[in-house]
Amino acid sequence: MTQKSKIDFKQILDHSHIANPYPLYAQFRETPVALQEDGSYLVSTYNEVVSLLHDPRISSDMRKSDAQKRFMQQAKQKREEMIAQGQQVEEPEEIVPAFIFQDPPNHDRLRRIVTSQLTPERVENMSSHIEQIVKEHLDKHAQGGQIDIVDDLAYPLPVTVICQLLGVPREDEAQFHAWAEPLASVLDPGQVQTEEQQKQIMQAGRQMREYMGQLLQKLKAQPGDNLLSGMMAADDIDGAMSPRELISTAVLLLIAGHETTVNLITNGTLAMLRSPELLERLRQDPELIITYVEELLRYDPPVHFRTRTALADIQIAGTTIPQGATIILVLASGSHDGQRFERSEELIPDRQGNEHLGFGSGLHYCVGAPLARVEAHIALGEISRRLIEPKLALDPPPYRDNAALRGPRHLPVNFKGLRS
Amino acid sequence: MRISVDLNRCQGYGQCCFADPSVFKLRGEEVLEFDPAPGDEHRLKVIRAAKACPVQAIYIGESYEEQEERSHRHE
Ligand code: HEM
Ligand code: SF4
Repeated sequence: MTQKSKIDFKQILDHSHIANPYPLYAQFRETPVALQEDGSYLVSTYNEVVSLLHDPRISSDMRKSDAQKRFMQQAKQKREEMIAQGQQVEEPEEIVPAFIFQDPPNHDRLRRIVTSQLTPERVENMSSHIEQIVKEHLDKHAQGGQIDIVDDLAYPLPVTVICQLLGVPREDEAQFHAWAEPLASVLDPGQVQTEEQQKQIMQAGRQMREYMGQLLQKLKAQPGDNLLSGMMAADDIDGAMSPRELISTAVLLLIAGHETTVNLITNGTLAMLRSPELLERLRQDPELIITYVEELLRYDPPVHFRTRTALADIQIAGTTIPQGATIILVLASGSHDGQRFERSEELIPDRQGNEHLGFGSGLHYCVGAPLARVEAHIALGEISRRLIEPKLALDPPPYRDNAALRGPRHLPVNFKGLRS
Repeated sequence: MRISVDLNRCQGYGQCCFADPSVFKLRGEEVLEFDPAPGDEHRLKVIRAAKACPVQAIYIGESYEEQEERSHRHE
């Protein structure tokens, strides 16, 4: 308990660990629940992460944390001071938090409306589109040379898919790239520091909500066979979605789909190109992709940690987490816990009984998991099958700054051509 | 092919329903219904379902006929 310096969460946020944070996580796990300098608690072992994810005494609503309350208080004070000095101050925009940042019962109502529309049939109907999109992107490189797996496939694919599913016109897609990255950085406490960055995030958020508001108006007049029209029309025993809720839900679905699936496909390509044996096995046995993708979600997942707030004093692993404290659940560390997974630091593409935490667990379990799986199966299947003599041009590749939604910024691969 | 689902483990995540909607269905929000002996054409989808289950509650085995056939082959 006294080794505070050893278990310092800030190390995760340090860019020097980003290419391989797993040895750091192994150190974290020596103290399953560790108090941090700033009063938050770092949770790194499988059982403790799962038990907290299922504990009704933790909240996903940041407004309930002491840290957030202090922050809001300071912001309010600053505004009042500025007003007192006669400065022009913008009214803060009232934002309904997306349901990933809400608790039951409202979380459940909003999630239910989403899942009533994101049906197995809708996802199944997307799979031929997904095949088509993957083919189009790869076919552009028929002559071989160099492909950037991120820019040329893994990033555009989920964007196109979620835009189609939601009902965003394809010509508006490009705008979303620009908005999504700053917004996703909100999930990474290490990043939202400079005032400039904060401004950028607020602006991206405002523009995206404005755009969504307009799109919803259009779809209201002319509904289509898409998620947004469906959510707008959907009723629920506890009440339909308000226009504000529709907007925040739409923005969440867009970002959650953008900044995660890209990493799954890229990490999956990276791992198979690091191991010629693995690549060969995937080629010989196309069904192996199913367990391979689950193993990636365990071994090198897109989402590394999520935060929660304690709503009561919680006793766990010999520690008491006090009410109001921020809890950092390191999902990626839980999935590497040697107490839970045999040979936990090895990538085993046909691992059995793989209850990884890649999509979380409990009531916030990823809504988009079925879609992400279809995208990853098809994209990684085609990458392994079609590229002729692929070689990593850079290893390790450059990583994006975000430690929570972690993945390479680029993954240049040299290859000789494409199989048909 | 035979399927069994440990309904004590199943938490109604519905991941299996996405992999093969004609074999796995959630009734209401929680109760899983499934076809315990789907035809062979479902094999790949059922494997996808079993591997996607977050609590690994789905078991795939051989149907009675398949077991029979195999034991005959071994005779
Ligand atoms: C490989 C890709 C993906 C990964 C690894 C992933 C991971 C996760 C994780 C770990 C959570 C749990 C968050 C928490 O407990 O606080 C989550 C929630 C969520 N994900 Fe995903 N996700 C992926 C793709 C998607 C896609 C494509 C969509 C949209 C269609 C999506 C939509 C959501 C939503 C809406 C939630 C919030 C659910 C709730 O709060 O009830 N995700 N995701
Ligand atoms: S995926 Fe697993 S937990 Fe979810 S409904 Fe199917 S069997 Fe139950």
